[in-house]
Amino acid sequence: MGDLGQILVGGITTGSLYALFLLGVLIVFQVSKSINFAYGQVGMIAAFSAWFLYSEQGLPVPLALGVGVLLAVIVNSAIDYAAIRRIPEGRPGLDLVVTLGIFLLITAVMQQLIDANAHTFVSLGADSRAELGGVVVSLNDGIVVGLTVTIIVGAYLLLNRTSLGTSLRASAEDAGIAQAAGVNVRALRTATWAAAGVIAAIVAVLVASRLSVDAFYMTPFLIKAFIAGMIGGLDRFWLPLSVAVALGVYESLTVFILGASAGTPAVFLLIIVVLALVPKRFVNERNEVRA
Amino acid sequence: MSRTATHNTVAPAVRTEGLTVRYGAFQALSDVTVSLPAGQISGLIGPNGAGKTTLLNAISGFTSIAEGSVHVGHADLTALDARRRALAGVVRGFQTVRLLDRESVLTNVLIGTERLPQPSALAQFFGLPSQWRAGRRDTAAAAEVLDLLGLTGQAHRRVDELPFASRRLVEVARVLVSSPSVILLDEPAAGLDQEGRQELAAVLTRVHHNHPSTMVVVEHDVDLVKSLCSYVIALDSGAFLRDGTPAEVFGDRQVQLAYFGRAAGADA
Amino acid sequence: MTGATITRPRRSAQPPATGRGAGARRILTRVAVFAVIAAVPPLLFDDYWVFMSAQVLAFAVATLGLDILYGRTGQMSLAHASFMGVGAYTTYIVSSYGHGPAIQLGAVVVVALLAALVVAVPTLRLSGLRLALVTLAFGELLAWVIRETTDLTGGTQGASVDPIVIGTWDSSEPLHAYLIALVPAAIATLLAAHLGRTQLGRRMLAVRDTELAAESVGVAVARTKITAFLISAVYAGIAGWLYAAIVGFIAPPDFDLFASVYLFVAVVIGGAGTVLGAWLGAAYIVLVPELFTLAGQPNLYPIVGGALLAVVALLVPDGIVGLGRGLWRRVRGARGGQEGSR
Repeated sequence: MGDLGQILVGGITTGSLYALFLLGVLIVFQVSKSINFAYGQVGMIAAFSAWFLYSEQGLPVPLALGVGVLLAVIVNSAIDYAAIRRIPEGRPGLDLVVTLGIFLLITAVMQQLIDANAHTFVSLGADSRAELGGVVVSLNDGIVVGLTVTIIVGAYLLLNRTSLGTSLRASAEDAGIAQAAGVNVRALRTATWAAAGVIAAIVAVLVASRLSVDAFYMTPFLIKAFIAGMIGGLDRFWLPLSVAVALGVYESLTVFILGASAGTPAVFLLIIVVLALVPKRFVNERNEVRA
Repeated sequence: MSRTATHNTVAPAVRTEGLTVRYGAFQALSDVTVSLPAGQISGLIGPNGAGKTTLLNAISGFTSIAEGSVHVGHADLTALDARRRALAGVVRGFQTVRLLDRESVLTNVLIGTERLPQPSALAQFFGLPSQWRAGRRDTAAAAEVLDLLGLTGQAHRRVDELPFASRRLVEVARVLVSSPSVILLDEPAAGLDQEGRQELAAVLTRVHHNHPSTMVVVEHDVDLVKSLCSYVIALDSGAFLRDGTPAEVFGDRQVQLAYFGRAAGADA
Repeated sequence: MTGATITRPRRSAQPPATGRGAGARRILTRVAVFAVIAAVPPLLFDDYWVFMSAQVLAFAVATLGLDILYGRTGQMSLAHASFMGVGAYTTYIVSSYGHGPAIQLGAVVVVALLAALVVAVPTLRLSGLRLALVTLAFGELLAWVIRETTDLTGGTQGASVDPIVIGTWDSSEPLHAYLIALVPAAIATLLAAHLGRTQLGRRMLAVRDTELAAESVGVAVARTKITAFLISAVYAGIAGWLYAAIVGFIAPPDFDLFASVYLFVAVVIGGAGTVLGAWLGAAYIVLVPELFTLAGQPNLYPIVGGALLAVVALLVPDGIVGLGRGLWRRVRGARGGQEGSR
């Protein structure tokens, strides 16, 4: 059982990272009805430049991390301001195409500015381990799960228990009506994209501390988070986030049972099976006909 | 007009029984039972929010029905989705014009030939003889409708370059091109000037004369309804109010109260 | 091509009699222009540029396929290069058993269709966004398969593919490769152009622009999306077959997510929804990185590609072809002319 426990801890930590990352995707989707394909790369900018600043330029680590987060906020807000808001009406799906271009651009620019290699990142407690009931847990695992729970619960309370949250939900429901009711929709939208930038940076830094950092490493995370969002529904809250954690556990379990290389096909199989079996009404985004 | 002989089916009556449609807590239609007489042009009137478009949506399968049923002729269509209802002969136009903006008028009208028997995807892709035959048939049908609506000169223009009135007509042409047996038009004259309205009414009358069909037109303009329709159904607040000949319905006190009372200035 | 009975309106209304002749003349003109351009590389270029031109032919088949899916049906695939990879690796495996081009092509079509069915059928009954995400996962899956089956596919190191040999022609010879690739590229172009004149092609446009109107006339939306995806996958598979034979060496990075994004860049820049745009895109995808390399700045290509995709998609959504058409319409507009079908 010790092995299984270990697997579960690994799965839950990874799943928490998927969930936290997905939270950023969800709030952006709900407020601006668009998908940012470059979202993983926004996080990558934070972690990769932080690494560059402390390791190559000699900045203190906390300062480097702070600059990284700031960069992510600026870039994410800029994506909304310069691109997403300028998408003409009646071209659905263009958000994905445009941010695909930004994805490519960010990747290439970071490769050009820094390099194309993988580098070890500050461990953020990945080395300090403790044994709890036969399962080895690192400080980093604790930080990941703790931060995820704090931020997600915080976001939930903000959205559902404050007047700010009410305004946010109103503008997500119908921006026109919210505007008319005196909500500053533009400011809320900018704030949402900025907050999503912070979340992307946090996740990217945590992932980098567990693996390593380069110009590509966030893409698999992006894919998994999107998959969880797709299965759980991008216009919901708890369900997609739970799916994200479950996906992490599922991945760890398949790796545990079938071997290290089974993760990728297992995830693919899961999506195909889930999409084939789940009733259409459940997984479709709301698009009521009011012809 | 020779082509139409092959599609000359007897137009069926359309009937709804106890139709109820809800959007969340809002009841858009409550227990609506109406009969649209076979082979006639019926007008569907009522103030804004009366449920006219919802009734059209329910008949054409574009909204889910909470209770009740939709019958066309002897067939119960309640369980069919919008596509199957279209294939069964119930074709509708939209109040908000829904066109392929970057395509030509001709392409937009040809979309409507989907209901005619089309060769398999493979036959179409590889251009087999059946595809050529279907293509010629469809182009001829489109040419006929475009001619009828006076759009022939615009056939190769992109629809987003056309004035709004012409776009409306393209929307109507897409519905008419396959000569459906049940035609549902949602405010086809909205945004047209007086002359355009009269022309549209003339065209619809001619279409109806050439291809017997059960036609339902949602319309605000009383004069237009009187000149076009032989039967009128009035709705108010999602409920059935009155039906009969235009003279009967417009003469009804309740209708006058619900309709003219509130919308006297807005109905033109 | 079709006997369009509606006449294309000329400057003034003309009697219908000229309609059929004018349509046939237009098509003949296009075929002639295609033939003249196709004759340029073998007559005027040296071996290296003929080799590059042959690659343009292979990529044209790929971009034509992606254009059918994205440009006409409005569905996003982030695995188009992966389907090229499916074609290329099927070719490699079949040819390593000593089978010739006919069997290779048959196998490529079958495998591409099967892979596309698995991706498309569960996905496309749902919204388009899901296709983009599932294709993303499919790309990962293909990379995994290649990585895990080194004995069969050569793994991450890549594999040398035998050239296509037909009689005395051998695709390791640039000129032969060009001529061999010209045939499928021409057929693919012809079929893609013809598609625009069929109800199948119009269904795709309707699904792209307004699913509600499509349903209202009886179009099967999900089936149309699936059909478009299958056609695009077969196009990609055949492009991979040609690519493997022309270049002679394949490796996973040729078919990864970035390769798929580049194909997207190509289609969007060229002009989504048009055959000409797909060809311009194919030329872009082969020649522009080469030009950057010749200029000593190979790293600029992805930067320029990403920036172009975002900027073109936002500002010139109809790409080069749309830009050209807009100019043409303005020029003709002064004389009261009209612009028509693609």
